[in-house]
Amino acid sequence: MDKQKLLRPPVEVRYREELKALKAADSGKRPENWQLSPRAVRTFILGSKTPIEYEGGSVTVRKKYFGNDALVERCIITLAGNRGLMLVGEPGTAKTMLSELLSAAISGVSTNTIQGTAGTTEDMIKYSWNYALLLAQGPSREALVPSPLYVGMEQGLLTRFEEITRTPAEVQDSLISVLSDKVLNVPELGDEGILFARPGFNVIGTANTRDKGVNEMSSALKRRFNFETVMPVREVALEKQIILNEVRSLAAENHIDMPVDEDVAGLLASTYHELREGVSDLGHRIDSPSAVMSTAEAVSVYYQTMIGGYYYGDGSMDVDSLVQNLVGALSKENKEDLGRVKDYFNTVIKDKASKEGGLWKQYYEARKWLK
Amino acid sequence: METILRSQEMAEIKLLPVRHHSPACARQVQRVIREWKPRAVLIEGPVTACSLIPAMIDPATKAPFAVYYSYDDTAGAVSEEKEKYRCYYPFLDYSPELEALRTGEAQGAQVAFIDLPYGDILAASQEGKGMRQEGDKSNYNDDYLLSRSAYVRRLCEKTGLRGFDEFWEKYFELEGLSQDSETWFGNLLTYCRQARESTPPEELREEGCLAREAYMARNILEKARELAGASGAEKGEPEARNRILVVTGGFHTPAVAQRLAEPDAPEGGSRGDAAWEDLPKKLVSAKDQGVYLMPYSMEAADALNGYASGMPFPGFYQEIWEHVQEEEQGEAGGKTEAARQEPAFLYLPYARAVMDMIVGTGKAVRRAEGSASTHDEICACSMAEGLAALRGKPQPGAYELQDAVLTCFVKGEYNLATDEPMRLLRRQMTGKRVGELCQNAGEPPVLQDFRARCKQYGLQTSTTLENEVTLSVFSKKKHRQISMFFHRLLFLEASYARRVKGPDLQTGRDRNLIREIWKYKWNAQVMAALIDASVYGGSVEDAAKGLLTERLRKAVYAREGALLLTQVLEMGLEGQLEQVYGRLSELLMSDMDFYSLAEALRLLTMVRQLRRLYDCGLETGGMIQTCVRRLLGLLPGMAKIKEEDMSRCMEAMKLLYQVIGRMEREEPEDREAEDTLLGSFFDALLLMDGDGEIQPGVHGCVHGLLYGGGREDVHQIEQVCRGYLTGTREQLLKTAMFFRGLFYGAKDLVFVGNTFLGMLDQFLKQIGEEDFMQLLPELHMAFTYFTPAETDRIAETAAGFHGRSRRELQEQEGVPEAWYLYGRELEEFAMKALSP
Repeated sequence: MDKQKLLRPPVEVRYREELKALKAADSGKRPENWQLSPRAVRTFILGSKTPIEYEGGSVTVRKKYFGNDALVERCIITLAGNRGLMLVGEPGTAKTMLSELLSAAISGVSTNTIQGTAGTTEDMIKYSWNYALLLAQGPSREALVPSPLYVGMEQGLLTRFEEITRTPAEVQDSLISVLSDKVLNVPELGDEGILFARPGFNVIGTANTRDKGVNEMSSALKRRFNFETVMPVREVALEKQIILNEVRSLAAENHIDMPVDEDVAGLLASTYHELREGVSDLGHRIDSPSAVMSTAEAVSVYYQTMIGGYYYGDGSMDVDSLVQNLVGALSKENKEDLGRVKDYFNTVIKDKASKEGGLWKQYYEARKWLK
Repeated sequence: METILRSQEMAEIKLLPVRHHSPACARQVQRVIREWKPRAVLIEGPVTACSLIPAMIDPATKAPFAVYYSYDDTAGAVSEEKEKYRCYYPFLDYSPELEALRTGEAQGAQVAFIDLPYGDILAASQEGKGMRQEGDKSNYNDDYLLSRSAYVRRLCEKTGLRGFDEFWEKYFELEGLSQDSETWFGNLLTYCRQARESTPPEELREEGCLAREAYMARNILEKARELAGASGAEKGEPEARNRILVVTGGFHTPAVAQRLAEPDAPEGGSRGDAAWEDLPKKLVSAKDQGVYLMPYSMEAADALNGYASGMPFPGFYQEIWEHVQEEEQGEAGGKTEAARQEPAFLYLPYARAVMDMIVGTGKAVRRAEGSASTHDEICACSMAEGLAALRGKPQPGAYELQDAVLTCFVKGEYNLATDEPMRLLRRQMTGKRVGELCQNAGEPPVLQDFRARCKQYGLQTSTTLENEVTLSVFSKKKHRQISMFFHRLLFLEASYARRVKGPDLQTGRDRNLIREIWKYKWNAQVMAALIDASVYGGSVEDAAKGLLTERLRKAVYAREGALLLTQVLEMGLEGQLEQVYGRLSELLMSDMDFYSLAEALRLLTMVRQLRRLYDCGLETGGMIQTCVRRLLGLLPGMAKIKEEDMSRCMEAMKLLYQVIGRMEREEPEDREAEDTLLGSFFDALLLMDGDGEIQPGVHGCVHGLLYGGGREDVHQIEQVCRGYLTGTREQLLKTAMFFRGLFYGAKDLVFVGNTFLGMLDQFLKQIGEEDFMQLLPELHMAFTYFTPAETDRIAETAAGFHGRSRRELQEQEGVPEAWYLYGRELEEFAMKALSP
């Protein structure tokens, strides 16, 4: 795969060098069928300050997941055990990213994925048939269309199950026996129809807790998973760092040659942080909007403003259009949110503008777009 | 070796740096004492506690216990305020200091504390620094010195650990298991030097560290001279003769070492030398210093319960300590080789403790909600092991344990509803153990006074069974005295007695009762609480007085002052009434909080009614007058309140009206003054009425009171009411709240013709089903002020509007018997059809 020609290359392509270097330098014990040892997986996700010597050059492994190192370690150990891993949390907390990183590092592929929707059926999870072949040859392995779960079991790979709670509860439950017995039965194939999972197989699920229209998981299924709750980043400085990192890589992928403005990122990080936590760093109490105030949202507001400035503007971050994009991001759930953000501008941002001036003042003046 | 200082001619001195609660540290200290066999073991801790050492190492004394230090600053050495101070020095089985005392004593060494007395530490510290930090419970323990520096933060970042405690566990506790004493103390000393170097010297001075270190160094030198003097007469191993082992907090070790190394240490504490200028010039009076042993609990010792320092999870580390001790004995008995063949969870101290805690948590979770399985426990154990391997720790520790339980026991999103397993684990890691003291531990005078009183009143202090006593407080003198005694103990927060029945002056409940029923029970916490209170006075009565003085000084709101007044009555402290009176009068003038003043008014009026009953000669009239005037001044501002404050505000308004009314009735001769009070009350109400944004409930109450005072007639109120009814939708919905306030202020309005009920009826017709359901609670509240007979009358009138009689309302059409029979038949048919 040539990574230049993809809109969003998968993790294993994006970080091919890092993965190769880690593998070459990896001396730790590896669980069977794992590409890297647990310690190297940790380094891949949490980064390392010391560069790795690889093929004459040196490769620095960048930190890719921020906020909770212990959580990443728990995830790795869970995947090496016999329970599945379920990442739950509010939208935009980088659950999917974490699950991609884990499967790319452990199995070498992050694309063996079931994408859960309300229309997901059991045969999408287990297997279906190529009907032309089925009619021509009768049931055979060739006629069988394996699902990502099937592939994972057959080859000993991690299978990702995105948005598992969007699928109906009875469809989710088809995972139960697979996860406990590690066996999938294909009765149509007769005696050869029993697929035993190879070592290295496991399931990483992600589930939203705040969205509308999700289905509660049955407790039988819950018992087969270890749960990890991914929390929003609680530190403004870290949130700013994430915004900067993400926007930089988005800009690089899309060939937008424009420097990233640290102050604007800081502004956005503090706005999102304060609105989410309901209290400003000056101590104001704020009504939190009901819309999702995730870091991912902040990244997209920044990036949109950046594209606008690059293609239409003068190549700099325009605070007016930043506020317009903010309005766009916030008016998803209900009208009251806008009122709350207005109040936020009229109290917190007003005070900050008079205290710090500069960018905050511009930001405060741009409140006219909040309508 | 770690730090040896030789003052050749005198003695060989070895300094051991320690962290106050640490199993690894305690074990290393134990080893050094056993192997090196010092003549004297000197320990960081105020010298005043030396007299307690025999009780501390008595086998009947069980940890956790604490040394309690108090200082009454009568001389003003600490500050001009002349306050009272106290602090605790908790000891657990695995505190290296306690281990040093125990092993030192067992080896026949002299053991002693060497730090400045508590009062002098305070005098050497700046306000708000070191041991003078504001806080509920101050701790002698100064481990925070080791963990607060920027150096530590960077270290944790670099090692990828969550904080100092995890860093400590990984590098000192877990690594310490396999290290010899030399390496272990060497590493610790390196760490301590770094932590000290990143602390600015002025901070050390402000916190009193320099004074303490100088004092400790001087004491060590004195001990060295003493041993040198005595050694000539004694025979024995020449090297072992003059050995001194010093155990201090690691943060102080480098500084003490430096002082000891200085060539010209002063003889016998001579002053004036520049190097020793940190020594306090003059020590504070010993009679103001108190020091006692008290039983302590694991919960109190747990750092995360808010007592600032010390290692967290005492229950967990207690278990580690026990396993480590078994291992130590096992090694001596040569059992280990066989044990090493077994799985890690059976012999390694941390792995064992982690498994025990996981299994214990599983059991507790099953008891609480029944959802943890053995498989969860197995998964958690292997998770803990896996994490330890990933993080490069030789065994899983407290953090792996927490991670394992979080991952394997919590199902679904981690939040308040699902964190039960974590809370249960936390409780286990804290531990439940409560310490005990030996017989001759010594008691402060307040505790002796307590026992004497109990004996005098015939109250049990020898059993821990609960007893009950009924007191006729208003007719029998002795009963009143017992009641006063109980109330004083309650005030001192000693959980000896609790009142199950009787008049409660603080809430104003059950004031008609003339007997009090108390249940009382002796337990170790009573002792701890009384020792805690001993700084306030030598008897229960004096301690209560002392605490009262402090509370009065700290009170900010008039409510607090008035509450203290009621407590003084209950405690029978007539002598303090003047003092309370003076402070309360000040508070009444300075308090700006309407609700606090209203509460004070309520309490004062009650005290006025009860003063004969409680032999109280206090004249409250003046204070009530002041309070009323202050409330009247604040009243107009209460129109725009939040909805949740509505009932409090209405209550206050009604109380104000009643008190002013009573004042008028009781002292009618002073016409002029009353006129002004009542007049200004109604003026304030009219001002509130004029406020366009007045809260509807308060608005109703204002009109109710105006009507009650004859300042308004029914028609005026009707008009206001119509205003809401015919207003925009939002205003219309506020009618319910308005009615609630109105009926609260003057409920007889309902029975003046049918006007208001008619309007209410119209209101109900105007709003839809959904709005009705939303307003139902408010409407319900509006009618709670009526007696059942009145409610019946209202119902009758309301029924009349719709051409029904009251009888009809109460009648319900019965269900014919045939329907039931048919239903049963149907069910039986269905059951038959469904069953195979």
